[in-house]
Amino acid sequence: MESAADQGQVHAGPPALAVERVSVSYGQFLAVESASFSVAAGESVAVIGPNGHGKSSMVTAIAGLVRRGGAVRVFGSVLPSGDPRAAVRAGLVLVPERRHLYPALTTRDNIMLGSYAHTRRIWARQAWDEVAGVVDMFPELTRLLDRKAGTLSGGEQQMVALARGMAAKPKILLLDEPCLGLAEAVTRRVYDWLGAMAGTDVTIVLVEENPVHALRVCHRAVRMYKGLLETAEPAGAQQAAVGRGGDPPIPPAVTAEPA
Amino acid sequence: MSQFLNLLAAGLTSGAIYGIFGACLAVWFRVCNVLNLAVGDFAMLGAIGTAVLVQQDHFPFLAGIAVDLLAVGAVAWVFDRVVLHLAFDRRSGGHGIVSVFFYTFGLSLVLEGLARAIFGTDVHAAPAIWNGPALTIADFHVQRAGVLVIAVAVVSGLVLWAYLHFTVSGRAASACGESVVGSRIVGINNALFRRWIFVGTAVLAALFGIVESPLTGFTFQSGPTISLIGVIAAGFAAFRRPGRAVVVGLGLGVAEAMLGGYVSTGYNDVLLYAIVFAIIILQPEVLGLSAAEA
Repeated sequence: MESAADQGQVHAGPPALAVERVSVSYGQFLAVESASFSVAAGESVAVIGPNGHGKSSMVTAIAGLVRRGGAVRVFGSVLPSGDPRAAVRAGLVLVPERRHLYPALTTRDNIMLGSYAHTRRIWARQAWDEVAGVVDMFPELTRLLDRKAGTLSGGEQQMVALARGMAAKPKILLLDEPCLGLAEAVTRRVYDWLGAMAGTDVTIVLVEENPVHALRVCHRAVRMYKGLLETAEPAGAQQAAVGRGGDPPIPPAVTAEPA
Repeated sequence: MSQFLNLLAAGLTSGAIYGIFGACLAVWFRVCNVLNLAVGDFAMLGAIGTAVLVQQDHFPFLAGIAVDLLAVGAVAWVFDRVVLHLAFDRRSGGHGIVSVFFYTFGLSLVLEGLARAIFGTDVHAAPAIWNGPALTIADFHVQRAGVLVIAVAVVSGLVLWAYLHFTVSGRAASACGESVVGSRIVGINNALFRRWIFVGTAVLAALFGIVESPLTGFTFQSGPTISLIGVIAAGFAAFRRPGRAVVVGLGLGVAEAMLGGYVSTGYNDVLLYAIVFAIIILQPEVLGLSAAEA
């Protein structure tokens, strides 16, 4: 079966996302050490590796949620450190681990606020009308629009988080462990959607502990280990290895640019 | 009938005072999960500051109000830029009860001390905005300042409710208190909302102090009592619903007045506590005590 990654459109030209010697520290603890990689426009890249080795720290730093050293460029423009608004306005949108929804607000408001950085509307209803189309990606949410997000199941909340991310009109979508703690059926649903997204112009960086899931939808993977970023090999080689059975392999430290 | 109407007017007036300070607390708590225990001191600065500017320094009335409100806004802005900025944006402050209570409690103590040093210990009242004898319809009497107090409370409650429920900015302000990370990743500037709603509610409290002071008078020690009243009204509104805080405040004021008029004023405090206990037992979600509201 052809993977979604095989259908993706990877464009030539300047990278959509260039991460240059990015480091993140919390006090004395160095969580990410001089990480560098780039992602072409339309490409899907997985960041894999064990828990606690800096994957989330790296993507939250790229998205501006924590301060970092080094540089992050989006389509050639440098993003300021620690400024998530600048990242969103540049088209770089994070769907964070554990979702971080607004539990007392409705599903509708959660999704609508995804467009906060772009909308010029004063009234919430008008802003919603502009982004209501994203619910078409998750028809399950239609009947939940007036429910408070805190009352939804984990899978429903994850779909709200993805819809909120899409309401921000991302050029680059960073997804941090989107299926953490979710049931298998929900995980399949999320990855089916990600597979479809990988076939669009949206550039995807997917943080995932499980390489089997990640390589279903990504062109290639990079691996974080003890705060260091190792480079990747194409998804096809990984998937072939997975298909032979046994434990999913961890990508070795070799370099490969997308085909 | 006339006793009922007069008790109703008195109750609505005191209830409006509960409600507006409850609303000021609730809207800021909704944004940053911190109680503004200095809200009463901003009201005190509004009332006493305007009284001193107009009566002792001979400022024109409207100019005195404007200068006073600007000064209160400036104090609130500086406090946010110095203390709250360091505590929340730089993450150098404490968490939990320290951040919820003690930053603004400290501000309250400082403002009280400054007011004593600058204005002394006398009772002050700003000039009435709407002068004249009490309004009378048959046997029903209501002071003009009371009408203004009720009007300002109702209008402020309505405006805050509409802002939070119907505007993108209001929904974003609510999101700030729901999830700091969740709001930042969509481009919401939490610090900006925290700052301007703190400044805005400080100015609103000061304005309300000016309007209210002909009825109650103010000393440098009036602030904490007012803040406590606000905390009670905001508590009835789950600390997050300014519109409901005004409605609850008005209801509490009327209930107090009726109890005082028909039974005894000695039961006022008993009534407040009885209502709180009844709600805790029967409808805890009203006070934000249920899991769904957490």
